This record gives sequence, structure tokens and C-alpha cells, in this order.
Amino acid sequence: MTSKWGEEMDLDKIEAEEKEWSKLLEGCERKPEFKTYSGIPVKALYTPLDLKDHDYLEKVGFPGKPPYVRGVHPTMYRGKVWTTRMFSGFATPEETNARWRMLYEEGQTGFSAAVDSLTQAGMDPHDRRVGPEVGTDGVPLYCKPALAAMVEGLPIDKIGVALVVEDAAATITASMYFNVYMERGHDLKTCMGTTQNDLLSMSIGCLQYRALDPAHRLKLACDIIEWCTADKNVPRWNPINFTTYNYREGGIDAVQELAFGFANAIEHINHMLGRGRKIEEFANRLAFHLSAHNDFFEEIAKYRAARRVWYKLMKDTYGVTDPKLLAFRFHIQTAGSTLTRQQPMVNIVRIAYQALAAAIGGVQSMHTNSYDEALCLPSEEAVLLALRTQQVLKEETNITNVIDPMGGSYYIEWLTDEIEERVWDYLGKIENAGGLVKSLETGWLYKEMTSSFNNRRRMIESGEERIVGINCYTTEEETPLRVFRTNPDAAKVEMARIDKLKAERDNKKIEELLTKLRGVCEREENVMPTVMELTKEGAINQEIYDTYRDIWGEWKANIVF
Amino acid sequence: MEGVIRVLMSKPGADGHWRGSVTVSSAMRDAGMEVIFGGFQSIEEIVETAIQEDVNVIGVSIHSMAHMAYAKELMDLLDEKGVKDEFIVVFGGVIPEEDVPKLKSLGVMGVYGPGTHTAVIVNDIKEAFAAKAAT
Repeated sequence: MTSKWGEEMDLDKIEAEEKEWSKLLEGCERKPEFKTYSGIPVKALYTPLDLKDHDYLEKVGFPGKPPYVRGVHPTMYRGKVWTTRMFSGFATPEETNARWRMLYEEGQTGFSAAVDSLTQAGMDPHDRRVGPEVGTDGVPLYCKPALAAMVEGLPIDKIGVALVVEDAAATITASMYFNVYMERGHDLKTCMGTTQNDLLSMSIGCLQYRALDPAHRLKLACDIIEWCTADKNVPRWNPINFTTYNYREGGIDAVQELAFGFANAIEHINHMLGRGRKIEEFANRLAFHLSAHNDFFEEIAKYRAARRVWYKLMKDTYGVTDPKLLAFRFHIQTAGSTLTRQQPMVNIVRIAYQALAAAIGGVQSMHTNSYDEALCLPSEEAVLLALRTQQVLKEETNITNVIDPMGGSYYIEWLTDEIEERVWDYLGKIENAGGLVKSLETGWLYKEMTSSFNNRRRMIESGEERIVGINCYTTEEETPLRVFRTNPDAAKVEMARIDKLKAERDNKKIEELLTKLRGVCEREENVMPTVMELTKEGAINQEIYDTYRDIWGEWKANIVF
Repeated sequence: MEGVIRVLMSKPGADGHWRGSVTVSSAMRDAGMEVIFGGFQSIEEIVETAIQEDVNVIGVSIHSMAHMAYAKELMDLLDEKGVKDEFIVVFGGVIPEEDVPKLKSLGVMGVYGPGTHTAVIVNDIKEAFAAKAAT
């Protein structure tokens, strides 16, 4: 039984009234056209006329029920409020551990490790080319003892740890973490957390230093999905987190953000199916990490549309029936690229609005940025304020009282439908370009990204897109912020950690296992069992990563701009 | 001043934040400069490419806070090769204001943080290029 919105209304009368009313606007508006951040033209007002063929149960429904537009749980925040998971990591594992303890004591409910560029690229801190970056942009996790130090004294059997590290490096870092988890006396079957493991994050969000080719990165990402989830070695672990946040930071719009994310998920699902795995064996653990950007209503509509797209994709394309696989669960991060170096305290306001949009949009887990991020890695004071921003939302605003409060807004429902339609169109465009891996190889995806960079630059520099402190309301006098700097001795500490490990471990065993890994790579088998053995014995990140590079070679992105 | 300004745009280290380097490269190209996009390069590779390609400007984009170390290495190597005066060196990225004078004292001509209008970068380079040509 369905009920059409506006069924009881006299739509002809509303239409006549609207026509009459719209005359009042003629010549009185500030601009000839109003658009969302994604360039969707919007009218001054939305009415029942915009939803006249809108079938409520089919298009919106109830929370925890298909198509999940109103939320993935029947109770939403009346049952459990979103997880506060602050992404953090710098200097050394010990210093990161201290920051995590502070956040935990202050009410954080999940951990998330930002790793440094060397961890991401499988580099040794002794290497002069990258030595100056040890711990400057994340926590250095080059070996198992580093992982152990990062989570020392924290209740990791009760609280999940997200490792924000991608594909090739993720196979290694996750294995180190799993070994630490077992060495602390826990059963891997109880281990909770996430590997970001998103090849696209380090292809178009950032570029990957000394990268493998996209096809092998996909293979390694799926090795983690297969070993952790399908083979049930770490059944409570989320093996991959499609981080559309990182793509969005490049300047693409909300529609592209979702389309890139879903295209990426499709590529991984198809690869797993190609290995002979069933979708029911792994899809329940596929996670998403979206951006919370500036266009308030568009972001809310984006989250709602994402849930509907995922539901249809799972049901119609993959024939899924299990509700756990149909519901789109996601984490958000407020958009770092919207923060300004100029008048940095203004960033506090931006972050709060972005977080509010995500909370209204029904997010499951949240990271709020710090106001000083356009200047440096966040200081302790700035991180604490970001944490408190979420706590004010949770405790003081009462937005947690009612599920999907924007549902039924003529504008939001119309915009949700509009975004969904545009996402399907863009997914078709990516498919025509050969799918995600192919479009990375041909450079098509890089062209889409660089054209976004340039469009945004032109819009900001022409003043069409207005940013307080950049192209309007600028001030001459800036209050200087205290810049947070990471430990300058981090490289020495990490080199010593590796030297000590190499002196203590069974180097012959490591050699044998590395030879074994070469064979595994040559035969294109799942690397995880061997990497688990290697990291247990004390192999460092670079030794394993270099084996991948030796066998499969390095790949350079085809960047056209 | 005659001639097209040639620029090498590089990223030393392993940090992969690339949006700034491409955005500024596009703006330079739009302003009539010739841009060689070096991408990830070691300091040695940057200097080698700059000499081989006979560029006028070396642009370095860094978002990892390791700018002081890389700047020192770069300027020392240019000095060692006796070519320090041949290039206009500019830095961009997440670089604290208080480090700008330190970078300039090493011989870096300009330092551009997030939110800088690309016209400022282009104009500074054009002026420095003209001044250099005049000497």
C-alpha cells in the first residue's frame, strides 16, 4: 500500500497560487541564478508541486527499512548516538599514544590513526629522500613494535581502531596490528576496527609516492577483504573504507564524490566476485567515509541520496536480500579544504555547521577537524575544541531527539532525488570510461580531477564562490596562531627502533619469508598469510613493500592538466 | 623582457598532496609560462631536471611540514653546483608564517600558503624574472 504525497491536496490550486506568488520575485533577486555547490540550479521555493509524483514508501520509507533514506537503524540517535572518532597521529607512536589517551579521557569513542607518508609509501626512515618527513604528517608505523607503542594501555579489545593506510601499505600495517592484538592476549575474532585500504584515496585524493599499478593495488586491497572478512579471520574488522572524503578534498562536487565512491566499491565487489567469492561473504563489512562540506542542505540530501543509491545497487545489481548489506553506513570528516589560513578562528564556525549537516544527515561516526589545520598539524587545544564541537551537538542541541528531521521538506526531498539521478548519470560516465581502474590507467580520472582543481580556482579567484577571509571580509591584521610542531627527533627515534628490531630478530627467517612472499606475489596469491608471518617475525614495512615493487614494478600516474 | 618563463614544479619527499602544485601550475600556464610538472622528485632529481631543462623557476610544493629541511638541501645543492643564482626558487604549501623569513634567508624568493591568489604568485615571478634579466 502506498500513499502519494500531496494526494489530498488541490494541486491545481497550489499551482495557481505559486504562479501568482512567483511574480513577486521578478527583478528582486540578487542573482540571475542560484546554484548548489555542485552546480545544481535551485528555485527560490519548493512546494508540494515538486513532489507530486513522489511515492513515500517507495522513495523514502522508514528508518532501518528499505530504501534506508531516513537512516540505517530503526532507532538512530535515540538508540545510539554517532561515534566520535578523531583522526590523529604524529611524531612518534608514543606521542600519538599520549594524544589518544587525552582524547579517550575527554570522551572520544573510537580511535583513528593518521599515518605518515613513509608508512604509506613503504619507505625506510634511513632513506635520505624521505627522512625529513618522518612523523611530520602522521604517525610513523614502520614495524610491529611501533604499532604496539601506539595502542599501549588502550582498551583495543573494546574500542575499534581505524588504520588510515591504503592498499599495499595496509596489508602490512594491518598485519602488524593484528599480531599486536594477538600478542596482547586477545582473539583475532574479536578485533574491531578498520583499514582505510582505499586505492583511490592515494591515487586522486593524494598521489602515491612510488606507487604500484592500479590493478595490483586493487588486488592487494581485495586480499585484505578476502582474508579478513570472506575467510573470517578478522570477522569484526572493516577491511576497506571507501574514502570519498579524500576525493572531495580535490575540489570535485557532491555528485562526483558519491559517484567515485560507488564506482570504486563496484570495482572491488566485481573483483571479489571474480575470485569466486559470494557478495554475502564480504559486503556487510564494506564501509564508507564521506565528506561534510559547506553547502548545508546539499550535504544532507547527499547522505540521504547515498543510502538510496547503495540500496538499489546492492538489490538491483547484485541481487542482495540481507538487510545488513543493503544499509549504507558511513563515517564523515568535516572538509579540511574549506578551512582557511586567514582568520583561522572562523574555521571553528565552518566545522560546526559541517558537523551539524552530517548529524542531521544520519551519520554513524564522525571526525571534526581542528581550526588550525590550514597552518599545521592540529595542536592539542584545537583538537579538544573539535571534540567538544561534537559533544555540544550531541548533548545540547536536541537534534538527536528525532530521526531524519529534514525528511518531508519539499526542498530536501527534491534535492535528494536530484542528486541520486545525477549520481547514476555520472556512474554511467565512469563506466563508459572503462571503470575505475581503467580510467586511472588512461588518465581520464586525473583529467576529471585537474579540471575540478581549475574550475574551483577560477570560481574562488573570480569571487563567484565566496570564502570569508579569502575573497571577502578580509582583514589586514591577523592574530598569529601558535604553530604546533612535531618532534624534530622523530626520525632518530624511528631509525633506532628499526635498528634495534633488526639486531634482535631472526634475520635468516625474515630472508626465507621474503623469498616465500616473492613466490606468492609471482603467483598472484593472497599475500596476507605470508605478510602476517613476516610482520610477526619483525619484518619492517619497507622490506615487504619493496618486495611488491620488485615483482610488480612501479607505476607513474598519467597527469594531464 | 623577452622570452617565455620556464618553470619546474616539483614535490620532494613522499607527501602526496598534489592539488596545490597542479592548481598553481595551471595558473602559471594560463599566464603564458611553460611548466614542466616534475611530480615526486628527490632534491638531486630536481636540480638535475632544472639544469637539463634550462628552467628559470623552481617551484616546490610541500604539505608535510618538512619544508625547512628540503629547502636547505635544495639551496645547498644548487650552491654546490654553482647554479644558485640561475634560478628563481619559490615554495608553496602548508608553511607557517614564522618560517617564511627563514626560507627567504636561504635564498627562496617567495613562499605561498593556502588561499594565495595565483595572480600574486605569477606577478612575483614575472617581476623577479624581469629584475634578473636586467642585471
